[in-house]
Amino acid sequence: MASRRRMLLKVIILGDSGVGKTSLMNQYVNRKFSNQYKATIGADFLTKEVQFEDRLFTLQIWDTAGQERFQSLGVAFYRGADCCVLVYDVNVAKSFENLNNWREEFLIQASPSDPENFPFVVLGNKVDVDGGNSRVVSEKKAKAWCASKGNIPYFETSAKEGFNVEAAFQCIAKNALKNEPEEEMYLPDTIDVADGGGRQQRSTGCEC
Amino acid sequence: MGFGGCLNWKSEDLSLIDTNSSYAVKPEHIGDVRKTRFKLRPGRTLSPRKWQSAFSEDGHLDIGLVLSRIQRGGVHPSIRGAVWEFLLGCYDPNSTYEDRNQLRQRKREQYGILMTECQKMEPTIGSGRYIIKPVITKDGQPIQDLSSQGGDTHEPGETTVSSTENSRHFEETLAGTTPLEKTEVNWKRTLHQIGLDVVRTDRALVFYESEANLAKLWTVLAIYAWIDKEIGYCQGMSDLCSPLVILLEDEADAFWCFERMMRRLRGNFKSTTDFIGVRSQLSVLAKIIKTVDPKLHQHLEDVDGGEYLFAVRMLMALFRREFSIMDSMYLWEMMWAMEYKPNIFTLYEQSDLNTNKDALPNVSDKKSKNYGKFARKNMEIGDTDQESSLAIFFVASVLELKNKQFMREAKGLDDVVKILNDIIGNLDVRKACKKALKVQTKYLRKKKEL
Repeated sequence: MASRRRMLLKVIILGDSGVGKTSLMNQYVNRKFSNQYKATIGADFLTKEVQFEDRLFTLQIWDTAGQERFQSLGVAFYRGADCCVLVYDVNVAKSFENLNNWREEFLIQASPSDPENFPFVVLGNKVDVDGGNSRVVSEKKAKAWCASKGNIPYFETSAKEGFNVEAAFQCIAKNALKNEPEEEMYLPDTIDVADGGGRQQRSTGCEC
Repeated sequence: MGFGGCLNWKSEDLSLIDTNSSYAVKPEHIGDVRKTRFKLRPGRTLSPRKWQSAFSEDGHLDIGLVLSRIQRGGVHPSIRGAVWEFLLGCYDPNSTYEDRNQLRQRKREQYGILMTECQKMEPTIGSGRYIIKPVITKDGQPIQDLSSQGGDTHEPGETTVSSTENSRHFEETLAGTTPLEKTEVNWKRTLHQIGLDVVRTDRALVFYESEANLAKLWTVLAIYAWIDKEIGYCQGMSDLCSPLVILLEDEADAFWCFERMMRRLRGNFKSTTDFIGVRSQLSVLAKIIKTVDPKLHQHLEDVDGGEYLFAVRMLMALFRREFSIMDSMYLWEMMWAMEYKPNIFTLYEQSDLNTNKDALPNVSDKKSKNYGKFARKNMEIGDTDQESSLAIFFVASVLELKNKQFMREAKGLDDVVKILNDIIGNLDVRKACKKALKVQTKYLRKKKEL
């Protein structure tokens, strides 16, 4: 019998201001895009039910403010995160350069038990802009950085057009699930992670 | 349109204001924005006629009369800008028309000087345009190739993560430029953040279809960032500034109104690497709940909500996100009327941004009817807690109001956020403010007992 209570997977989205964190979250959860999103202040979240092998999970996605000075508020929101999504805008070099800061800041503030293996996923957003002509960060460069940080899965997305968003969040959910320590799982005997739960083989892209 | 007698107001008056005025929502976005609950209340709302009659022949304003109206039913939208200038302390009710005309003229000139100063550093200021992309690097190197809408970073090829390569790149392109002052660098670095937020602020409104209006909001925020270097610009400030830019036609007037508003709120935005000012308000909120409802406070602590971070957005953007623009304006004017102290103008005029904390005035000094209800109570009890504001009691009252629901349903910080968001948007502003005053009374009483 399936578990009565669904397991909660907590995901944090980080990245510079204006890279599309709110849009990505809304595109995934509500399947819509709006140019009316406001700057996020503090943090907000949406939830979505996801299914893996007949089991339902609640994905709780926390959207955060991009401006640096909100980082000191992060610690309370980051606590208990199962996966961290780092977003940059492929058209803004600085947003890519800052990924490292976001990653490090997260590891400091969330202080996960196994920082080396904590799952991150990187999204290069806004690939639709100007037909790709205004792009300043190449896929190759982004992938190289991801590889250098322990093979972080990488996706190129367009929250506006819904491109690759579903696939990216599938991977995010899967990685969040892998991170959930077994002893904390609700009804752990019913959880059966498809690839044996190993995350040593996280390569670029997601083998979900 | 004439407003006739205030007793003749009908709901159509408001819908006219809604669709004709600058804070009308674009038809295609009507479904996206929060519903407005504000209603004109004949005999309660401060009407244009009542407002006019509150001035003496030479222009002295009977602020007590005005406050009593606003606290009961807000301000008629057509006179908001003028009324807010008094509520926020731009003008002294004890001054004459003549005094105020002179002061307004002086303030406009002062704004002109600030604008010229900023223009010299960044020509986009005052040009009717605004900046969205970075114009300067962290180490003060200008990013060139400005597009028509400000600095676009059209760099040939790709940029790299390595900072050494980065600086080499800039050395090549920008040989000969003189290093900028640190304050100038910091200011310039905020300009694109302001732009990023300006284009995301109240975009459902017809008002912001105009590029000139977007530029107006951007410029006011940019110049404010220059005069208040400690704060600069922080997200949330565009939400606070937008209604003022809409209400006050003259950009300089809007600017000074915003400056006065920031006197109350700037503390929230003050930040260091490990602290952001709003936390002080959160501690006051925690203290209030702990005093008036210790069980609820304990429960919030148990579910990891003891830091009250769920109230960050409410306090920083002063409920702009929880209410429609019309309702948040209604809430603001009601709160400001309740917090009003007759010395507010003198206090602000005589102090700079950092020192606007006043000594508690003696009750017998001033007519108590010229105080708002909230300020009067603080004064009567002699409460000197300068951090306390009605906004905090507003959040506290919502928590109090639904404490059973929080105790029963909130099992994590996420539940708290969810419940609170669901409640707040559906509140009746006037009733909620009354409730907030009750919580204030309860708090002050309990505090005295302890």
